[in-house]
Amino acid sequence: MNTLTIAWIVLPLFTGFIVYLVPQLNRYLALGINLLSLGYALQVLIAESPLTLQLLDNFGVTLQIDQLSGYFILTNALVTTAVVLYCWHTDETAFFYMQTIFLHGSLNAVFICADFISLYVALEVIGIAAFLLIAYPRTERSIWVALRYLFVSNTAMLFYLVGAVLVYQANDSFAFAGIGNTPIEALALILVGLLTKGGVFVSGMWLPLTYAESATPVTALLSGIVGKAGIFPLVRYALMLDEVDTIVRIFGVGAALLGVIYAVFETDTKRTLALSSLSQLGWILAAPEVGGFYALAHGLVKPTLFLTAGALPSRNIKELQHQPLNTSLWIVLVVASLSISGFPLMVGFGAKISTLNNVLPWQTIAMDVAAVGTAIVYARFIFLPHHRQAGQEIKFGFWAAITLLIGGLIGANIFYFQAYTVANTIKALAIIAIGWLAYGLIFKRSVLKLPRVLEDFEHLIGGMSLMLILVFWMITT
Amino acid sequence: MLEAFILATILCGFFGIIFKKNLVMKIISMDVMSTGVIAYYVLIASRDGLHTPIFSNVKKGIYADPVPQAVILTAIVIGFSIQALMLVGVMKLARDNPTLESSEIEKNNMP
Repeated sequence: MNTLTIAWIVLPLFTGFIVYLVPQLNRYLALGINLLSLGYALQVLIAESPLTLQLLDNFGVTLQIDQLSGYFILTNALVTTAVVLYCWHTDETAFFYMQTIFLHGSLNAVFICADFISLYVALEVIGIAAFLLIAYPRTERSIWVALRYLFVSNTAMLFYLVGAVLVYQANDSFAFAGIGNTPIEALALILVGLLTKGGVFVSGMWLPLTYAESATPVTALLSGIVGKAGIFPLVRYALMLDEVDTIVRIFGVGAALLGVIYAVFETDTKRTLALSSLSQLGWILAAPEVGGFYALAHGLVKPTLFLTAGALPSRNIKELQHQPLNTSLWIVLVVASLSISGFPLMVGFGAKISTLNNVLPWQTIAMDVAAVGTAIVYARFIFLPHHRQAGQEIKFGFWAAITLLIGGLIGANIFYFQAYTVANTIKALAIIAIGWLAYGLIFKRSVLKLPRVLEDFEHLIGGMSLMLILVFWMITT
Repeated sequence: MLEAFILATILCGFFGIIFKKNLVMKIISMDVMSTGVIAYYVLIASRDGLHTPIFSNVKKGIYADPVPQAVILTAIVIGFSIQALMLVGVMKLARDNPTLESSEIEKNNMP
């Protein structure tokens, strides 16, 4: 098992270079690596016993693989496979596949590491690979969006680094285990770094523009799995330390509400989905015990929605309401939207119910409101006009990716089939009914436009200092 | 004392990122900030002593801690590569925006 783990973590980074030497093999190698990860993740989830790998003379440099890692690795494998399938018949270059493989490998590294420095390195590699993928079309806008992303992520990681050295000073080790015995400023710096990197609450306002302006497959990768790289360590710390648990839950609720409020009033499809990602990341943090499962559910739904949104004739929802779309595309939209709203038979139902059952009493009302908000946001996609069109042809790669993701949506139900009780089903259906009713009566005609001032570049960086003060204050009180 | 200087460096860099208008100046500010962070690692490494931890017969006294220094090397390399990438991006942007004012570029690219 140890050898397998090491081989599995090294192979993507190695294969990335092979792609450059033998560019003809690009998509086959990318697919092979992803299938390897898929097998490994299933094996981790079945084994159920945590595995720890320790470097000799380690100073805390360790790897730890458990259930939680298993869910995230599985999500990573499924999302990247879907994206590779989506791009199978397009003319993406070897460079694109190389970056995808690197991104996949470094994400896996994040999900198994158990020390601050490995985490730092992996997160920075993710930042660089994501930058290259976003800037790949090389238009002015894509370069600016990518630069902005790298700026925010690198500044956040500098704060994180200062926190990491303070942890080392207190414990003589970089292991996550030392987080309980650290000065509060170290904790605040690390949390701010990760909250910004993960895109949570106000520090996540870099996320809408980045997701909305990237190419479709890149957005699917970003929203499906890259955002979760910052979330995973937060969930880990929350499970280890009660103080962090409270803070993470508060930020989870905040992000879930903020994202959904913005998303309800948005008229651009890709921005709506991006803002809803902001909200869904909050859902993962709201109940850290079951965060892994929610991450899997979200990781399957969001790429489906983004890939479909990329195939729609327009990005403006008002135009789509007057322009019937292809019925087959509409069905995909409906299935994914129902899952993310928590409709039974889809994995979103189990995820939503398990989160709602694991939140603390003070969170319950806020999370119910966020659930209704999600239903309102996706009602907009469900109630789009549609009709059968013969002429419009949709590519094979798109269907392969969608089949995999939707298959995952239904298949992943087995992880939490206990959710199917009468009470839970009624609750989920009631949330959706209220959401649809509210959509039909109020939000369908709303024209309110929320200001985007928080998304300005300067405000993103400045917001970090405010978040630092906020987190610091939260820890001291 | 040294710690205060280092924190001042980090803060200078951070405020530079916010207040400088030119994109290149922003990138340099980020480099100042990362220099401060690197210096902090070196400072913490040298808490116990200043000598290099090399095994030899000559007794030198108390050694500096090699671990933070080894670790920060990685961060220096990463910081360097990120700088390089950003400057390439800025070069591309400079063709259409010769002034490189971030607010102008942002205005053109915020749909």
